[in-house]
Amino acid sequence: MTDTTAVLGYAWPLVVSPGEEVAFHLSSATLDGAEATLLRVRCADPDPDGPGLRFHQPGSPVDGPVALRHQPLRPGSCAIIPDAPALRRPGALSLAAFVFPTAPGGTAQTLLARWRDDTAQGWRLALDSEARLEFTIGAGGRLWRVTAPRAVMEREWIFVTASYDPASGRITVSQASLDPQAGRDTGGSASAEAPAAIAWPADTALVIAAHALGSGAAPRTGGHFDGKIDRPRLLSAARDEAALRALAESLAPPPAEPDLVAAWDFSRDMATDIVRDLSANRLDGRLRQMPMRAATGANWDGRTTQSTEAPELYGAIHFHSDDMHDAGWSPDLRLAIPEGWRSGFYALRLRARQGSDDPVESFVAFFVRAPLGKPRSQLAFVASTATFLAYANSALRLDQVHAEAMLEGLITLSRDDVYLQEHRELGLSTYDTHSDGSGWCYSTAKRPILNMRPRGATFNYGNDTHILDWLEQIGQDHDIVTDDDIHRHGAQALAPYRCVITGSHPEYFSRSMIEAFDAYQRGGGRHIYLGGNGFYWRIGWHPTEPHSMEIRRGMIGLRTWEGEPGENALSFTGEPSGLWRASGRPPQRLVGVGFDAQVFTRSYPYAWREPARDPRIAWAVEGIDLDAPLGDFGLRGGGAAGLEVDRVEPTLGSPPHLLWLATADRLDYGGVPTLEELRTLHRGTMGDQNARVRADIAFFPTARGGAVFSTGSIAWACALSHNGYDNSVSRLTGNVLRRFLDPSPFEGFDSQSRSRSDGSI
Amino acid sequence: MLVNDPEAAHWPVDPARLDLVEEFRRKPRGPHSDELQKLLHRMRWSGVGRRHVLVTLEPNRRWMLGRMPGRRGAPVETYPNRVFTSLAEAEWAVFVLRWEALTGRKLEIAGNTPE
Repeated sequence: MTDTTAVLGYAWPLVVSPGEEVAFHLSSATLDGAEATLLRVRCADPDPDGPGLRFHQPGSPVDGPVALRHQPLRPGSCAIIPDAPALRRPGALSLAAFVFPTAPGGTAQTLLARWRDDTAQGWRLALDSEARLEFTIGAGGRLWRVTAPRAVMEREWIFVTASYDPASGRITVSQASLDPQAGRDTGGSASAEAPAAIAWPADTALVIAAHALGSGAAPRTGGHFDGKIDRPRLLSAARDEAALRALAESLAPPPAEPDLVAAWDFSRDMATDIVRDLSANRLDGRLRQMPMRAATGANWDGRTTQSTEAPELYGAIHFHSDDMHDAGWSPDLRLAIPEGWRSGFYALRLRARQGSDDPVESFVAFFVRAPLGKPRSQLAFVASTATFLAYANSALRLDQVHAEAMLEGLITLSRDDVYLQEHRELGLSTYDTHSDGSGWCYSTAKRPILNMRPRGATFNYGNDTHILDWLEQIGQDHDIVTDDDIHRHGAQALAPYRCVITGSHPEYFSRSMIEAFDAYQRGGGRHIYLGGNGFYWRIGWHPTEPHSMEIRRGMIGLRTWEGEPGENALSFTGEPSGLWRASGRPPQRLVGVGFDAQVFTRSYPYAWREPARDPRIAWAVEGIDLDAPLGDFGLRGGGAAGLEVDRVEPTLGSPPHLLWLATADRLDYGGVPTLEELRTLHRGTMGDQNARVRADIAFFPTARGGAVFSTGSIAWACALSHNGYDNSVSRLTGNVLRRFLDPSPFEGFDSQSRSRSDGSI
Repeated sequence: MLVNDPEAAHWPVDPARLDLVEEFRRKPRGPHSDELQKLLHRMRWSGVGRRHVLVTLEPNRRWMLGRMPGRRGAPVETYPNRVFTSLAEAEWAVFVLRWEALTGRKLEIAGNTPE
């Protein structure tokens, strides 16, 4: 059994051009060193029934032994406000905030603190291990503490205050439920003795949703909170609950109020990691580990569901104790990519303990792009980095009740899965839920990603390399362009290529990406889509932080978690998220087919349809028996149509010129339609009774000599290598690719398409 | 917050339906009759206690029986003496465990491996 996790790492940046430098950030808890080898990936899937692991070894300066060290991961998000004179005012203070705890109890969770844990100095407002609000002050080795009488309730807004009044020698806490009826009232207050004077610590950061473990402007943190905090306020005076409530309710607290130390407004700069202070002290801070922004505040009333329309209703941040978006590891190896290297899927292989019972072979993946405007081929293959990130470290099969029923069989765990079950500090995927049950909406590449590398889970990355393997097999040169670059440069990233192939599961698209494909196709580009469930979710990329994507699942679509009301727009961009179908760009309009069903019982062959005999498409089916099933073989369920499948649907935009060439429409009871396919409920919607549960193959010409060919199935890519690559799936794909690389236009489609290509419309 | 309820599957398992056991033994990977589909859903939705899984020893060749710990961060329990060389064989082994857990009856039928 190969150990794939004894050493882990990430490459930064994830995507590089020849001539640029990539750094490998590595860590091992058990190994002192490993043997590093830089590889270009041809096939990442170790399945012995397929091509198996296949690499090219270009030879690089980093090949050879590499010393390893342990670099820990420190999950948990918070806001850090570095120490400042206003925070050190002596004497009285008051705190207030609206709080929405999502996992209270079990461990203590700090809401707001200027506290250093190593010396137990300062003040800290927290929920204790019994979910009760607790205010602590500490100095000179002594602690004073007061605890609210009743535990807070999960997922209920409360207004909390704390104060220290040296004049009366008391500390006080209070909490008030915003919906105090029908059993939801946890309100109450408490007061306890406190010293008549206290020395607050020096050089201690104020932390929101955690506390500092030591001194300094960038301390390590502990006591991370799960839940939302809205409109936190800090005063250098002891005020009562009513006064503090008025100050917190106010969206514009008077900055001239002399006792107001800070009034943070999390609705400002929601796309950034900056938190803004509205007080005259300007105590702005920074977020760590990317907590969820554009979260509904305690004042959100449903008048809008877009944070951009009423940002003042989105003054909350949802912090998670397991947020992980930047491992912060130091680099161990650096490599300047030689100018002559071709673009591709690359990986650093790390081996150790070779020849033992438990040899180590672990990979760190990255991508070498073809530089913008400098194509080396007429063909580009798209590295679906948005999709790879969306699935990065998916724990779906570990955590989710439905997984075994959905997958129609026992869950098989790889060594990576077994590791991830124990090591949640890696940060999970946008398919997963945080430890508090809320969905992961961000994913970044500054952390080890177990399922985007050779030997990793085959879904997406591994399956896509079957297409790379096939291109190598047929001797077809190609460039690699990534989703990141298509988003950044738009149609320019695709324009140099006569043909672009998207892979087995290009599921996640930003607006810029989908418009790039649309413009490319309208401009004469040829697009071969060899997958299923593509062009499905609408995402955003972080405006400044590379390789960071966001999805809000919303309330329709095949979703492993449901977005919360009002929280389904992207914080990175302010745009709606959810399905592209709900944003007016269903995949059928772009690629002719769109997601309709899953089928995990087995995969199926397609049957050819009459349009396959149309002379205008003769080039595609040359040498293929149209009376025989197409693709009754393959590594995923024994067929080319399976896993997730797409169908032609004119009502959702499949174009009039489309030729519907083949269909797999007998998917039996294992064919389960996606949720957005059902308007009303009735029995009989599964594939054994429902012809709309199917995979379709389609071709259509686009403007200016462009065209689209779609296969509508994730399993397609893993059928290409069957029978030594000599099979109908490989032949059809090859026929289409050859024709798509031939610049001559597609003749015989009606005058409208010709007039468009003449530019007369 | 919408969550899945692992206890929601409640199709009543009839311990006398050894015909369904036999159907599964013959064809662990399906296709299955309507009633066997329901029995399998009953088993797979909740996992019948802590969920049995397979841990891959060699890709697509050898698997070891495992069991989920029931909480995040805890290790997967493994059974190194229960190694399978086919997924059908593994499905049958876990089916037997779940049948016995659901019905309280041991399966004593000829041939304890799938055909």
